[in-house]
Amino acid sequence: MREAHPMRLIITGLAAVAAPLAAPMAAHAQDVLAAAPADISVTVYRNPNRPEGGFDLDNLEGFALITETRRVVLPVGEHRLRFEGVADGIEPASAMVTGLPNGVIEKNRDAALISPSALIEAAQAQGGRVLLTRSNPGSGATVRTEGTIRSGAGDGVVFETPDGVEALRCSGLSETFGFQSSTSGLSALPTLSVLTRTTEPVEAVVQLSYLSRGFDWAADYVANLRADPGKMDLGAWITLANGNGTGFSNARVQIVAGRLNRESGEVEPIDIGRPILALCWPQGSTSDSPPPITIQRAFPLGFDPSRLEYAKAMPAPAPQQALTDFAQRVVVTGSLIAEQEELGDLKLYRMPGRTTVASRQSKQVRMLDRSAVTIAKIYEADLYANEPSEFQPVPVLLRTQNDTKNNLGLPLPSGRVALFELAGASASAQRLLSGETDLRDIAVNEETEFRFEGGAAVQFRQIDESREIEEFPGPPPPFLPGNNGRNTPRLDEISRIELTNAHPHAIQVEVRLSLDDDQRLVKADRPAAQKNGRPIFRVTVRANGSVQIRYQTASR
Amino acid sequence: MKLRIVLAASCALFALPFAWAQDRALSVTIYADDLALVQDRRPVDLTGGRQRLEFAGVSAQIRPETVSLAATGITIVEQNFDFDLLTPAKLMEKAVGSVVTIVRVNPATGVETRETAQVLATNGGVVLKIGDRIEVLRDDGLPVRVIFDKVPENLRSKPTLSVTVNGDRRGPRPATLSYLTSGLGWRADYVALYDDASSKIDVQGWVTLTNSSGTTYDNAATTLVAGAPFRVGQYQGPQYGRQQQRPQLVQAGTETGGRERLGDFYLYPLAERTTIADLQTKQVSFLDVHGVPAEHGYEFRNYWMGTQEEPQSAKTVYRFSTGSAKGLGDQLPAGVLRFYMRDKKGDPQFIGESAIDHTPMGSTLSLSTGDAFDIKVKPVVEKRERVTTRRWKTTMRYTLSNASPKAVTVVLQQDGLWGDTKIDTESLKSTRPNADMAQWTVNVPANGSAEVTVTFDSSY
Repeated sequence: MREAHPMRLIITGLAAVAAPLAAPMAAHAQDVLAAAPADISVTVYRNPNRPEGGFDLDNLEGFALITETRRVVLPVGEHRLRFEGVADGIEPASAMVTGLPNGVIEKNRDAALISPSALIEAAQAQGGRVLLTRSNPGSGATVRTEGTIRSGAGDGVVFETPDGVEALRCSGLSETFGFQSSTSGLSALPTLSVLTRTTEPVEAVVQLSYLSRGFDWAADYVANLRADPGKMDLGAWITLANGNGTGFSNARVQIVAGRLNRESGEVEPIDIGRPILALCWPQGSTSDSPPPITIQRAFPLGFDPSRLEYAKAMPAPAPQQALTDFAQRVVVTGSLIAEQEELGDLKLYRMPGRTTVASRQSKQVRMLDRSAVTIAKIYEADLYANEPSEFQPVPVLLRTQNDTKNNLGLPLPSGRVALFELAGASASAQRLLSGETDLRDIAVNEETEFRFEGGAAVQFRQIDESREIEEFPGPPPPFLPGNNGRNTPRLDEISRIELTNAHPHAIQVEVRLSLDDDQRLVKADRPAAQKNGRPIFRVTVRANGSVQIRYQTASR
Repeated sequence: MKLRIVLAASCALFALPFAWAQDRALSVTIYADDLALVQDRRPVDLTGGRQRLEFAGVSAQIRPETVSLAATGITIVEQNFDFDLLTPAKLMEKAVGSVVTIVRVNPATGVETRETAQVLATNGGVVLKIGDRIEVLRDDGLPVRVIFDKVPENLRSKPTLSVTVNGDRRGPRPATLSYLTSGLGWRADYVALYDDASSKIDVQGWVTLTNSSGTTYDNAATTLVAGAPFRVGQYQGPQYGRQQQRPQLVQAGTETGGRERLGDFYLYPLAERTTIADLQTKQVSFLDVHGVPAEHGYEFRNYWMGTQEEPQSAKTVYRFSTGSAKGLGDQLPAGVLRFYMRDKKGDPQFIGESAIDHTPMGSTLSLSTGDAFDIKVKPVVEKRERVTTRRWKTTMRYTLSNASPKAVTVVLQQDGLWGDTKIDTESLKSTRPNADMAQWTVNVPANGSAEVTVTFDSSY
């Protein structure tokens, strides 16, 4: 069952009146409305181009696969089977309908929803007959006159009555149109229709699936450093959001983690309509100040600049009212954990039970909870060899291996990590936020590093102590093929790195050097190892102590 | 009295197109490049001699310069495309100098007073001459209705095409109006359901028509042309903003399809007449194949001889043929191919998509759907030494890891081997698909890892 917005209900009522009278596109096809979905499944995918971290509720750029099961009853003949109430962000090209015995002749999505401007356009297309209603300002009497819309283009409405030709709402009187109830072919809700043909009456359960824009999800991790050193509790929420005007009740909800390809083709937006613009002729008066001279921009023929805005506003229209609603309606469904399974080379998480993904709502479901994860806290200074720098804080890494030995061993989809630490003495200790970082997709058994900004307590600086250039022995080398004539002389540099620790406990520091292509580490006063092809010094700085590393590089 | 006659005449004028619509036969040919040819056959009623024919219901995005009208026994004098649209402001502007009726309504009593007025100007505000007085319309803010006798002839609610012809004799006869228009387009959309257990795909192809031309084409015979046979010599860029540079067409096919052709292009006529409504997206099926063998593999390309500090996901790749034997057995118009796979409960889930170009039958396609979460590669430059000024030796180590419970094969590619780059030593035999690239096929055990080490010797 669809979520019942009060406003929606009214429009649905209106459509119910209009639908049977609607002139079908093909004269011989009968309109048949599919029943409301009996079963809905929503699979939310994150925006593949969004970096780690959260999403913008006003502009959800992920998408979802929506699968609905609906019952249809078709008599014999050709039918336009209508699926009302699909998501407004539907990508019509992705729609699939299965379960119709004779298949689908064609699928259609009409973009025009019922709206004031769409009514004017539809009335005009059907001959333009309308009923003009005018109220007399003195007597209050209402006069109804039959008329014809002569033009309903974006720049005002011109109509004709037996009196003559007039413009709507230019007189200062209250004027409006009443439309014939058969003025339709318009849907109140976003609708997909398929053309099908049956040779015998059919009662079938059909499945409609499509991709829709205006969804997104993010993984939000919370890491709690425990009082016992080297241990951390890691939990994560899946936060998913639906920015569509359509809600999905009692749905099976999944999310898919991993980066998948999207070919960002344009989706023809639904025309959400516009108000009837009662534009008139110039209405300046003698008491107005002179209008500034404006030069109208010329648009190419057939281009309606007013449409531009609607196109931009889609696919997730977020009116102000809805926004405030949105912010208030973050629903936490409790701490049942989503079930993870493999989906090809991606990871699928199934929400426990059924849930409602309401329109313009964000929702959180627990993704994982791991306690006592073994971590190593390491300070990591990553610097270019010999590049002088003043004292600056050293970033912190929480490092672990994503395996069961360390109480992990499960896929960690990319997301944002908030780090909490205990502050103060143990009696009055408070858990406070101490850092935020991003996490990429981490597979099982992969080295996992949470990288945070460092505080002032641990600092480093680098000093370039001396440089020496070797002199060329003899004259410069001759210009020959394979020799560009400017043999670089050997450059020797000696630098010093200073590390300081203001903590009352010892810390582990890793210093990594970036070398130029033809640069080598010649010698150092501490043992240097290799990591990812680069020299690394692993040192322990004792409590309230400092350490110096002196090294020499050579380049040619 | 005069008013009534004008009204009747204008009604007759507007009734005309509806009468025409009866025997109208539309045919629409849509090319891939926002271009369509509309052939609109309808009876015209000739009076004999010079006469103006008006064609309502043509595309609002018509290219008027491409219009041609063909009927027996007529010669065309001129063609006009009127696009001065009827709005309240235009109506008033065109009324300058002529007489309108104004109706004042007394706000207290509601009594109406009628007067005739001449419109003097519409600059900023409307200035009227009523008898001997000059007045600004609604200067006092009180309600005043302005009634015009008629709509000026060249103001239209929609852009309208008219052709002035010389007819040889009186009477109705069929005429064919043909023109080019933009606002109609099509592409293909494919749905591929991959079955992991049998390594097979089911593929459905749909042509997707979009109409933003501002007009509805009723009951039109529709043909789609795969390709844009225009703009000769102009580079046709990738159509859907392709991100990856990896080649998708591994081998161009050499089989001829059974479809109708137009020169070098295939035609896709729709089986039935259809109505293409304005702002509608319409899909019609053209391909439905089941159980085509497809290979699922992994690819990783290191674009230059550089280090990645963090392991990078390999691309998930699906490879299949469009040939008649063990393939889709059809040429594929350009579009987007969406891959689906069933989850544990048997529901199809979307796993990524890939754009394809027009592809001949018999081709081999290799399409990437995205990154593999569990299959990663970490390339590291272990050593780089200068041998001479323009000769370097680079030792690379590629660590491939597989967190899935199945052994996989990864095609590892090292790109960017510019100049004269040879391989000194390698832990696994490589191939060179081209001078810029070396390629290894690496088996990575389930829940395990593999390593490839290579020393390149490059001279520039």
